[in-house]
Amino acid sequence: MPAPSDTARRDPAASAAGESSRRRRARADKTSTNVAMIAAAAVPCGRLQTPETADVHSLEHEVLAGCVLEAVGAAGVPKESIGALVFCTPRAYTPQLYFGTFIANYLRLPTDGVLMEVLGNGMTGGLAFDQAAQAIASGRAEVALALGVNFETATPAPAHMNRSMRATGDVSFQAPFGFTPISWYAMDAVRYMHEFGATRAELAAVAVKNRRHAMLNPLAQFRKPVTLEEVLAQRPIVEPLGLYEVPPRSDGAACIVLASERVARELRRPYVKVIGRGFHHEGAHQISEVPNDMIALNAAQRAGRAAFAEAGIAAADVDLAEVYAPCTIVEVLVSEALGFVPRGHGAKAAAAGETALGGRIPICTSGGLTSRGHPPYITPLYSFVELFEQLTQRAGERQVSEAQLGVATCELGNYNAALVHVLQANG
Amino acid sequence: MSLAKIHMTGKRPYPPRVSAFTRRFWEALRDGGFLSTRCQRCARYTFPPKPFCPHCWGREVEWAPLSTRGKVYSSTVVHAAPEIFLHEAPYRVALVDLVDGVRIATRLVGAKDFAIGNEVEIIMLEYDDGPLFAARPL
Repeated sequence: MPAPSDTARRDPAASAAGESSRRRRARADKTSTNVAMIAAAAVPCGRLQTPETADVHSLEHEVLAGCVLEAVGAAGVPKESIGALVFCTPRAYTPQLYFGTFIANYLRLPTDGVLMEVLGNGMTGGLAFDQAAQAIASGRAEVALALGVNFETATPAPAHMNRSMRATGDVSFQAPFGFTPISWYAMDAVRYMHEFGATRAELAAVAVKNRRHAMLNPLAQFRKPVTLEEVLAQRPIVEPLGLYEVPPRSDGAACIVLASERVARELRRPYVKVIGRGFHHEGAHQISEVPNDMIALNAAQRAGRAAFAEAGIAAADVDLAEVYAPCTIVEVLVSEALGFVPRGHGAKAAAAGETALGGRIPICTSGGLTSRGHPPYITPLYSFVELFEQLTQRAGERQVSEAQLGVATCELGNYNAALVHVLQANG
Repeated sequence: MSLAKIHMTGKRPYPPRVSAFTRRFWEALRDGGFLSTRCQRCARYTFPPKPFCPHCWGREVEWAPLSTRGKVYSSTVVHAAPEIFLHEAPYRVALVDLVDGVRIATRLVGAKDFAIGNEVEIIMLEYDDGPLFAARPL
């Protein structure tokens, strides 16, 4: 039998009144350390990887070390204060194995807390952030790095998909039919258009909006404007989605510096607090064998509710969100699952500008996966980079005015699992 | 009742891995049957077949014919295919909700005017090296 407090934590949908008193009690009992994000650095998404046969290579560890030095330098903490390193596992194309321990040597960086590589498909970067935050919260480290490098573009997409299809389907009972990772999202789109009468143009509007955001982001891979007509005219990739509504191939590297709030306060610079976290895996891989409402994104709903409950906020309080959305349709579905827009209205809301910069709830001010870029294993780190810049009010031309509360999501499969973090500006 | 067959030229682009347990499924499919496992405790089907029940974790399961009729829940046409499937692209795949209350993912063949909710039947694709299943509009 779970203890009553366990039950309360497992059911964030409990009645609002009971829940808030439980939350107050939970805060009073809280012994864990508050976690802050104190710096972030990344290289622009793009094609960084050199072919195997190149005379001169771009090396993953050289690029990542540059991010580490930039981020830790910006944080203003001594190297010796770093107690935990949580790496995104590199792609299979990276020759250097045991990458995390290799980098610890490359940087001559001993640690007392933990050093590990994590992996969870598209969620990998979010898990790195989550585990680094956990190292701080548990007191195992005062400063922790969540970091990673994803190099893959030297392998052409068809060859890459020979591998990636095995991550997004049962290799015996689904992969033999030729499902690709994004084919599942395409089926979300077909279902969504069927159920809610959304149009192709409404979905495509998400790509146009995100390109406008990316034009203002120096880290973005694609920064030339596109029109709705151009998006709709692209060759089909997985029907109904065309080239500009699916993710590009991207390389990238990023490093996030997390610290206890005590350390963050002493630095006397703006920082960002991690105030809520939710996770749910629905125990299904791509599809539930028991027919369900696939496009409700059950995992995102539950993880979102848990994160918002822990933070003590409602969806309407959120100033901006960086959601993990490889395709236009996915951004629509996540915006609904988190409660930013009503069910069935996500595509219309995007087309009406509600989710654009200057709109009611700006989503993916970085440009999102389709335009900012998508180096899959570290993509969620780029979301945290964007939220850090926004919540410390230094996002330049794409600054969401007076941004105080930001939400990051990441996922794996067809949102079979979701990890949601709520971040709050401090200073 | 035996599944309808379509002869395919060549080998399966990405053949399934067969275990001593799942061999029964693939051999039945080759012979025109469509089976899965059903729990003897909670009576629920599972797909793919498993030597236990994923719902109640009971170990007493039986092989039973799975319905060969269902409705398309969603579908897409893959144009950008993995290298090993390039020679078949573009091709249509679908999620099918079988009458027995099981959702499967498979190829959808012979669907010129596809629509969600279309009724389909499970058929067998007979490649040189073995069978695959697929759905086809009724």
